[in-house]
Amino acid sequence: MGNFFKLVWNEQVKIFGRKSAWVMVGLVFLLVVGSGILTNSFLDEWDKKEYSSDWRTELTEENAALEAEIAEAGDFGGFTQQMRIEQNNVALAEDIQPKPYDAWAFTYDNTFMMMIVSLFAIVTAAGIVSNEFKWGTIKLLLIRPIQRSKILLAKYVSVFIFTGILLVTLFVSSVLVGAVLFGINDITQTSVIPTMSGEYLVMNYMTAIWQEYGFSMVSLVMMTTLAFMISTLFRSSGMAIGISLFLLLSNGALMLFLSRFDWAKFVLFANTDLGQYADGGTPLIDGMTLGFSVTMLVIYLVVFLAASFVTFTKRDVA
Amino acid sequence: MNEQTVVMDIVNLKKTIGKKEIIKGLNFQIRSGEVFGFLGPNGAGKTTTIRMMVGLIGITEGDVVIEGKSIRKDFKGAVRHVGAIVENPEMYPFLSGWKNLKQYARMMEGITEERIQEVVALVGLEKAIHEKAGRYSLGMRQRLGIAQALLHNPSILILDEPTNGLDPSGIREIRLYLRKLAQEANVAVIVSSHMLSEIELMCDRIGIIKNGELVAIEMVQTKATEATGLIVQLEVEPVQGALQIVKGHVAGEVVAEGNTLTFSTTRETIPVLVKALAAKDVAVYSVEQKQASLEDKFFDLIGENVIG
Repeated sequence: MGNFFKLVWNEQVKIFGRKSAWVMVGLVFLLVVGSGILTNSFLDEWDKKEYSSDWRTELTEENAALEAEIAEAGDFGGFTQQMRIEQNNVALAEDIQPKPYDAWAFTYDNTFMMMIVSLFAIVTAAGIVSNEFKWGTIKLLLIRPIQRSKILLAKYVSVFIFTGILLVTLFVSSVLVGAVLFGINDITQTSVIPTMSGEYLVMNYMTAIWQEYGFSMVSLVMMTTLAFMISTLFRSSGMAIGISLFLLLSNGALMLFLSRFDWAKFVLFANTDLGQYADGGTPLIDGMTLGFSVTMLVIYLVVFLAASFVTFTKRDVA
Repeated sequence: MNEQTVVMDIVNLKKTIGKKEIIKGLNFQIRSGEVFGFLGPNGAGKTTTIRMMVGLIGITEGDVVIEGKSIRKDFKGAVRHVGAIVENPEMYPFLSGWKNLKQYARMMEGITEERIQEVVALVGLEKAIHEKAGRYSLGMRQRLGIAQALLHNPSILILDEPTNGLDPSGIREIRLYLRKLAQEANVAVIVSSHMLSEIELMCDRIGIIKNGELVAIEMVQTKATEATGLIVQLEVEPVQGALQIVKGHVAGEVVAEGNTLTFSTTRETIPVLVKALAAKDVAVYSVEQKQASLEDKFFDLIGENVIG
């Protein structure tokens, strides 16, 4: 075990020995800061408003005022007002007192940056094996009294350690930047949370953030493992990044196109978004269940890893 | 002299890629304390053989047994005793020399900081060890490569074309160093090369490989004491006078080319000859001896450099 820990340590030295790793961590932090500044400039009076114990009356009055604004704006505009009215109505219906925008709301909004973290994880996974071939160091690496599978496992684990560091950076800097700019409320309090898709979640921010990170992790792990496999199979980081990134970015459109076919449910991307089963949502294709998706994901993961390990341990290194 | 034991035993080693037999059944042994030269033209199968020795590529048939352990069946047990550079000494360019060595130190049991320092001093890299390996010259990388191979006190050191790209002083340094390693630490050293002149100076024995077959194993005499086979070249002035004197001492043919006389003779004759020349006021600029038999043999065996 000490032996394996040392291999992982070696991989971390190699990852952080290059500037690119520091650039990735730094970029995540800077993007959070940028997102904070942008969010701050777009927050309106309602987002910052502190409601009194008589908040129901206040919300009703606010809605009336918003309706008037919409009528005034005519055909053009009034969208933000409309959204606010909707959110207020949900709050009234669910009987939840609105809280001003805070660090947790900001952290939740920043979960879209999981896309960036996925991108960086893919780039790291794509290089971790193929670079050894590119540098020629693979020959010195594989003539040690260590099984090849152990070396590969150390590399795979190292990709996720680095990804974990990126995730912690994203989370911690979101909370810190959010706290400085917007203040911080009770994370366990049930809130009306506007989502990216224009709907409203009714839950506390802890659950919402945890869920969002969790769902994104599924597709991150799958795409990263795919990149890792391509990198091991073809010894080319460019190819691994290209294919994985293309699929990561286009899988939404791809699935939209494929969803008319019944066999599409066996496609990896039909199953990577486990969020489709949350809160009684309808799955992409009829008949898909959470159990089915999890089974498919496990099968894909096992196939990707098996392909990587078999080629890596059997290959002639020339 | 240390006792010589067999460190590596190569038994009927074969490698087939596709339908093509690259290595066609090699059989030889490497003993401790010897420097073994692995000689052959480019494409003869030197690097393929070396890769099989260290387990980088699979063995089609036969085996490589290192310290009694088969590289096929007990990779970890066998490769533990091996230090190697395969082709160029490639390092992580973004890490310092020291950090590169630390990488390999972590992959073996019991390599202390002191041992790393010792090896660094041994290859003479103390000054540059904390610089990035990417800034190293080829010679420095070669040294770092040797340091990496020696970290774990291997009983066999395998170097593939170690003098590639080195300047003459670097070549000389490596040569002296390898000899010392074999003699003092009783390490078996395998050196591959396509250059006879280089191998001849470094090695005790030479295995000549051609088209995947071992065509000969030759001992290299460090001192030419045999009566025949010693070729001497003299650079003299005037040539005509010298020619007469040399002919008086040498049995065979004497070839005059410019100011150089070439002939074959015994070692004992050389000082007698120089004395005689000096006595007749012939200026001797240089005396060179060559052991011709090996070179001739090499070209006889290899013929033209045909790959395939």
